[in-house]
Amino acid sequence: MLTRREFLATAAASSALAAAGKIQPTADTLILLWMAGGMAQTETFDPKRYTPFESGMDPNRVLSTFPSIDTAVDNIKISQGLERIARVMDRGSLIRTYQAGDLGHILHSRHQYHWHTGYAPPQSVAAPHIGAWIARTLGPREPDMPAFIDIGQSLEIGAESDALKAFHTAGFLGTEYGPFFITDPRDAAVAVRPPGHITPERFEKRYERYKKLLEAGPAHPAERTGAQQESLRRAVENAHRLLLSPAAQAFDLSRESKETIDTYTAGDPGNRFGLGCLLARRLTEAGARFVEVTTEYIPFRYWDTHENGHQRTIQVKNTIDAPISRLVLDLEERGLLDRTLIVVASEFGRDMMQEGKPGKPVKDQVKIPDRLTDVKHYGMHRHFTEAGSVLLFGGGVKKGFLYGTTSGERPCKVVDKPVRIEDLHATIYHAMGIAPNHGYEVEKRPFYVTRDGKGKPILELFS
Amino acid sequence: MILALLLAAAVPDFAQIHAIFTARCTGCHSESARQGGLSLETHAGALKTVTPGNSASSTLMARIGGGKPPVMPLGGQPLSPAEIAAIGAWIDGGAPGPAASRSTGEARSWQPTLALRAPALPPGAEAHPLDRLLRVYLGPQGELAETTDALLLRRTYFDLWGLPPTPEQAAAWAADPSPEKHAALIARLLESKQRYAAHWISFWNDLLRNDPGVVYHGDRKSITSWLQNALESNMPYDRFVQALLNPREKNDPEGFLIGVNWRGDINASQKPVMQAAQNTAQVFLGINLKCNSCHDSFINQWKLKDAYGLASFFSDEPLAIYRCDAPVGQMAQAKFLYPELGGVASDAPLEVKRAQAAKLFTMPENGRTPRTLVNRIWRELFGRGLVEPVDDMDAEPWSADILDWLAADFVAHGWDIQHLLTRIMTSRAYRLASDGAAPGAPYRFRGPVPRRLSAEQFADTVSAITGQWRLQIPRGAGKASYARDWEIKSTALGRALGRPIRDQVFTERQTQPTTLQALELVNGSTLASTLERGSRRLLGELDPAPAPLADSGAINSQTVTIDVPVRGRKKLWLLLEDVDSYDPGRVKAGWAEAAFDQGGPLPGPHTAIAFKEQAGRPALEAKLGTTMIVDVPRGATRFTATVGVDASSLSSDINPRVRFFVFGAQPDPAQLYAVEGDPPVAFTPVKKKQLLDRVYRHALGRPPTALERKLAGKLDAEVLEDTLWAIFLSPEFQFIR
Repeated sequence: MLTRREFLATAAASSALAAAGKIQPTADTLILLWMAGGMAQTETFDPKRYTPFESGMDPNRVLSTFPSIDTAVDNIKISQGLERIARVMDRGSLIRTYQAGDLGHILHSRHQYHWHTGYAPPQSVAAPHIGAWIARTLGPREPDMPAFIDIGQSLEIGAESDALKAFHTAGFLGTEYGPFFITDPRDAAVAVRPPGHITPERFEKRYERYKKLLEAGPAHPAERTGAQQESLRRAVENAHRLLLSPAAQAFDLSRESKETIDTYTAGDPGNRFGLGCLLARRLTEAGARFVEVTTEYIPFRYWDTHENGHQRTIQVKNTIDAPISRLVLDLEERGLLDRTLIVVASEFGRDMMQEGKPGKPVKDQVKIPDRLTDVKHYGMHRHFTEAGSVLLFGGGVKKGFLYGTTSGERPCKVVDKPVRIEDLHATIYHAMGIAPNHGYEVEKRPFYVTRDGKGKPILELFS
Repeated sequence: MILALLLAAAVPDFAQIHAIFTARCTGCHSESARQGGLSLETHAGALKTVTPGNSASSTLMARIGGGKPPVMPLGGQPLSPAEIAAIGAWIDGGAPGPAASRSTGEARSWQPTLALRAPALPPGAEAHPLDRLLRVYLGPQGELAETTDALLLRRTYFDLWGLPPTPEQAAAWAADPSPEKHAALIARLLESKQRYAAHWISFWNDLLRNDPGVVYHGDRKSITSWLQNALESNMPYDRFVQALLNPREKNDPEGFLIGVNWRGDINASQKPVMQAAQNTAQVFLGINLKCNSCHDSFINQWKLKDAYGLASFFSDEPLAIYRCDAPVGQMAQAKFLYPELGGVASDAPLEVKRAQAAKLFTMPENGRTPRTLVNRIWRELFGRGLVEPVDDMDAEPWSADILDWLAADFVAHGWDIQHLLTRIMTSRAYRLASDGAAPGAPYRFRGPVPRRLSAEQFADTVSAITGQWRLQIPRGAGKASYARDWEIKSTALGRALGRPIRDQVFTERQTQPTTLQALELVNGSTLASTLERGSRRLLGELDPAPAPLADSGAINSQTVTIDVPVRGRKKLWLLLEDVDSYDPGRVKAGWAEAAFDQGGPLPGPHTAIAFKEQAGRPALEAKLGTTMIVDVPRGATRFTATVGVDASSLSSDINPRVRFFVFGAQPDPAQLYAVEGDPPVAFTPVKKKQLLDRVYRHALGRPPTALERKLAGKLDAEVLEDTLWAIFLSPEFQFIR
């Protein structure tokens, strides 16, 4: 009789291509901290000349609406409001020259699809999420911990819901490798507990009843021996094992002290991103392979600042500063940072004036007045795909390292070392021990973790 | 399948070798770079450095093996031993190119024809033509057994209605002594046009990437009402294809050719007209044009110009050809994939080109279209196609005669899909016991393969048994109606069970059980709440939900006046619910000037609400998701209020969308809407004593055994809920055999 895994190996929609070269991994776990909605690089990790608000000012003068601050690394300055991250900058590398895809008229969910899969939609096959690639290639680190956990994103957000759903999948790799969703980290324990109205005792009895009924039924012989039927029984068994395993306790934030929770949320109990980071730490300790925590994409919210950008950026920075820095320090304290790669990234950057890429006009989505009189117009309200920042901590990357430079004057273009998605992904995969031309065959054609298998890891980033 | 193919062919096919070249060599040795004059991007290029049949004397092997410096890849990691071995085996096997690779092993001698053949029916005792042809295929081996009467009934109902037979239907079937009863059943089930359409529409939605309830950014157009109508009226398939390829009338399914578009710039190979070419070829002809929409295919005979040739039929302007997103400086010529059937002038008007495409796809000389559909339907009914994979209709069928006989019969009967279903389902082949052979073994037809219930069949069956249906909720004020699962956008449960995100054409669903899917079944909220309420309903313990006295419908910036009679009522329940605001926590909304016609102002926190472009009005402020209970003053006969969202909430980041309700009795939070119409399957209440029996008969088509009765014990709501759960998760329930 086939075991379930053997069955899956034969039934999976895709098969592995000839083995690519072997790479020694420098990380076992990847935590992706997703700055959803387009994080303004000049207001965060790539500050430019500070121009305080003055009524009547020319918007073209505004590059950063915050002063910059020192960090633990001499040659790296970042934006005010990120003081805690500044203090841990010596644990990581900062890329300032990420160039988002050139996809024309901007649509957030489409750029997010591109970032998460490495492929711009539409595609002729369903492209897998980076978490699914990793789940398929490396499998879970611990058998009771899902290999791909996705924290914080609601899939029902209005008009872009289905675009979000389109890339939050394992695509052609098969549903086995898809995301385990925790929409709200406050409810994480619910995801690994019996349904609300069922007590744990009843839950166990229900499963006992299930097993007894399977024994008792006058099942057709095929029901007892068929590979598919067997694999259904095993799947149900695995689900119960997972829900009742000690690993499931990792999902339970109530096991953390109020003090710890306060550190991650900066005292705001509604800071779901902060709680997500705490959850990511717990899951990493319990053997997670890939965890994404998002600030959440909902049109016009969080990093998607279309108006009042200065003010709203203060809030979002306040949301991320404490948890990101705390996560780095906690993993370090536990001796886990060296084997855990944390990536802080966003679909693109922002600018006050430039929509899309310099020299390639696309439709502006926000009107900027000729003179700023209302502070609500003061901020990075347009989508900028020419440059954005990416932070990397742990997982074998250099400490206190700055990669790439952008110009100090608008349009703040990349001056050297541009990083495109295939190279950024190749770098992340490299840390995880996966070659950029690793791939699977679908419909008899090869499909690679990076586009055409041609991503090049930035080896300079590794220590 | 792919695994089987590789096993059958010891020689790696070119696609596999090409993948290695692409990963390791074409950085320098591409068509454009050609370092050292060599391109490994094409088969022809590769042949310049290999001696087919002799790897030892091939330059390529010497370079990558280190036998002849410089070692390739120059300056890079050497190829792995496995890669070198694969390339060696490919060369020793004659270094086959893409076309030859297709026909390695078993399929070597197979050449599909375009026109339908008319296979002669062999003589035989079997009454049904299909069974006579199958006899030839099976050869002189023992008789295959038929399935049981009860399983045949369940199979037939699921295949035509997507629902299991009710215990009453099953009892009538069991009592029917007629030898013709299966044929009569098929005819009767097909007569119920709505139920037939409600099942088969999901198959078509997957193929035509139409998803009810879904809104995409960019252009996308629903074809749901056309499709439903086409199925209910059993539109002949030639006309069906013609309408999709050449929409002319207002109600024609324009959405299929429009496809799924995303805002922004699109890669040349994925432009809407290229998608139209890929989709029409895949869905209707079983031809994969995806590779050659970008470059000449490495896996089949199709060239870049073929994809553009077909796309030109759907383009209202001349198409420039792009190779891997770079223009090649040539314009496409309209050319059908089978040019021998005809063509069209490239500069003809769009209507002419589309009309010609519609004709070419459905003309009698084109056997590919009917054959492809017959194969898809066969797969739906038997769990495996006559040809696999179903999107590669150049592959050899396990019985070319059955395929062509059915296709010819289908065309001869006016492309009648219901005739095709009837033809197949009335055969003995359809009645055979299911064959659960282990996957991976070479396939041989021995009966239907057990099939997993689809997401929609699962949901609808659970609803039919528990009476707990999903509701179609109108955007505006008005009553909800009961819905079958396909009618509403997918849930997490539906997606876990394989309902696809239809941004692509899906011709096969992923049906294998997975841990993630089991988690959704074990502790997901959708199934849990359905079973919790369903078991109480079955036991007669679920009080009917009161209908609201008023329902504002979804409100964004508009206001709605509420005016309800309250005579004889003691209390009112005032509810405010979020629909899908972007930031529900910041929505300020309320009941302005809420008052009874008798008595003083309503108690409670009052605030000023300023509706859009109106001055502030005193209002009872409401919090989303909360209920206020107010006493109706003595003598009051009406309650009036104007409801809406405060102007301060009308910003893009809050994007409020809320709904107000007034109830005269304690509302049921799980069902706030008034519902009209009948559920898709009538709910039959039975006495508690008969309940277990009924549930088993409905779900599994058999009564519970003595042991199962004993395990159920005393049937209260909890035990019933847990028993239902156990049944719905059992392989016996989840598979159609």
